[in-house]
Amino acid sequence: MFDLSSRQAKIVFFAALAVIGFFLFFPLYWLVISSLKANAELYRVVPTPFPTMPSLEHFIRALTTGKLPMYLMNSLITSTCSAALVTLLALYAGFSFAKYRYFGRQPVMLFMLSAQMFPFGLLLISIYPLMSELNLLDTRPGLILSYIVFALPVSTYMLYSYFTQVPDELIDAARADGASDLRIFHTIVIPISIPPIVTVFLYSFMWSWNDLLYSMTLIVSDEKRTIGPGLLLTYLNEVNSDWGGAMAASLIASAPIVAAFMFLQRYFIQGVTAGAVK
Amino acid sequence: MAVIENNVGAYPVSPHANRGGLKAGQNRIGLLLLLPAAIAFAAVILYPFLSALGLSLFEYTVEMMEPRFIGFENFVKIASDPDVWAAFWTTAIYVVLTTTGTLVAGLGWALIMNQPFTGRAVLRSLSLLPWVLPSTVSAFIWGWIFNSRYGVLNAFLMELGLIDYPQAWLSTPEGAMLAVVLTKIWLSIPLFMSFFLAGLQNLDKEQIDAARVDGAGNWAVLRDHILPHLRPVLMIVVVLGVIGNLQQFDTIYALTGGGPVRATTVLSVEVYRRAFEQWDIGFASAVGVLWVAALLPPAFLYLRMLVKGN
Repeated sequence: MFDLSSRQAKIVFFAALAVIGFFLFFPLYWLVISSLKANAELYRVVPTPFPTMPSLEHFIRALTTGKLPMYLMNSLITSTCSAALVTLLALYAGFSFAKYRYFGRQPVMLFMLSAQMFPFGLLLISIYPLMSELNLLDTRPGLILSYIVFALPVSTYMLYSYFTQVPDELIDAARADGASDLRIFHTIVIPISIPPIVTVFLYSFMWSWNDLLYSMTLIVSDEKRTIGPGLLLTYLNEVNSDWGGAMAASLIASAPIVAAFMFLQRYFIQGVTAGAVK
Repeated sequence: MAVIENNVGAYPVSPHANRGGLKAGQNRIGLLLLLPAAIAFAAVILYPFLSALGLSLFEYTVEMMEPRFIGFENFVKIASDPDVWAAFWTTAIYVVLTTTGTLVAGLGWALIMNQPFTGRAVLRSLSLLPWVLPSTVSAFIWGWIFNSRYGVLNAFLMELGLIDYPQAWLSTPEGAMLAVVLTKIWLSIPLFMSFFLAGLQNLDKEQIDAARVDGAGNWAVLRDHILPHLRPVLMIVVVLGVIGNLQQFDTIYALTGGGPVRATTVLSVEVYRRAFEQWDIGFASAVGVLWVAALLPPAFLYLRMLVKGN
């Protein structure tokens, strides 16, 4: 795009690269580096740029003594269930919006999408008593249901955008063969929609995995607590702060989501920016 | 949306079939497919939303068994509550700083990542990382960088001679605001970058080559071709950014808890505290209603762009 043959252009370009790149990557570097430093080296007023004696003590401590594995397992359960639920709901809704025409279709779709802008914190004020009435407060199903809030609108829209590109001829041909709509959807449309389905699953999984607010409010007992509030309560409290442990536990908590994301990022970005960029 | 409208209803059905009847049947199936999502939506999004709007007209605190209708009294109380006003003001500062910061850095980074150079693909993938990290993790990272005793920021600034002794960043209003703003900018850059990169993909390269032949420099290409081309994406990104930043809770709560005192208490934190620490549900809902009002203009713009875009 830019012509970098001149010296001046090169300087501006690489200076910008260095500044923004440093801002983006240094915190990640520091996270990794700090997690590998033993306490004696970690708590120094003038920090070392990399660990002189790398140590896995924080990782071992995080995985063996704390409740981190339990929090991880809880997050895995709630995030997987809620992502599966959201994906399933969005799948049918997205197909319905894309391939049928009925009264109120467009307003309903826009309204659902605009719900992404209802503040999650405000919804929580009423979700809390709702869950309390349903006896779902402090339960995993309660949290799983509440997590629908985060991802259902955008997931529906992402799948809707994809399904509009599925040629009508494909569906019509199957209809002409006498297949029912549901059968067409399940045997023809879903098999060719795996990438967007995986994207939506990952998108909603990410929302649940990364949540702090809902889990912190709707879950009281420690044995059901998820990773967000779990990390916060374990490593940063009034009495003491264990930064080495916090860094190691952060890396452990981020690993699954980062791995999944790196693997699927291409689909993911297409899905999230769909509709906004023509 | 027009494209879809035209496609539907144009199914080539057998000449003997009753067109209208078939379509009506199909549309019933369409509604049926929508039903599960619609029920879930109504239960956990629409009902809570309307219920919170309603609760703003009630007095409902932890000691009360039943909410008591008080009309607009909560709003009258808000009008004379300096804390709520302060939260609005803090939110405005936070949203302006985070959105502008992310816009500049995200656009800059997208332009850099659009330039071919060795290692670009790896760098591009890696620069998405802040986006996927759990919010508590982001807060930990920046809390550690800003740490008053062992933080690398203090060490760095002292090395450069910019400060003489370590600063307790998170204990001062400005330092805490700086920390929460930088954290949010950092984790939003990937999203902004992705939008800009997607927009840059369909930039007309020939047009730029032609401009180059006419003697246009880098700056002229950016100003006359790239930026005008990115204008629609820019609008979407700004609106989405404002909506997201107006709602931000997790990183702020984990990093500063809204403090010191109330320096980083934005609306999301204020509503959370009123509702789940003081259990003043009615008042919290009323603040939430005003929060929604603040979200309406960008939300309206966003929807209008989506409708137009389709």
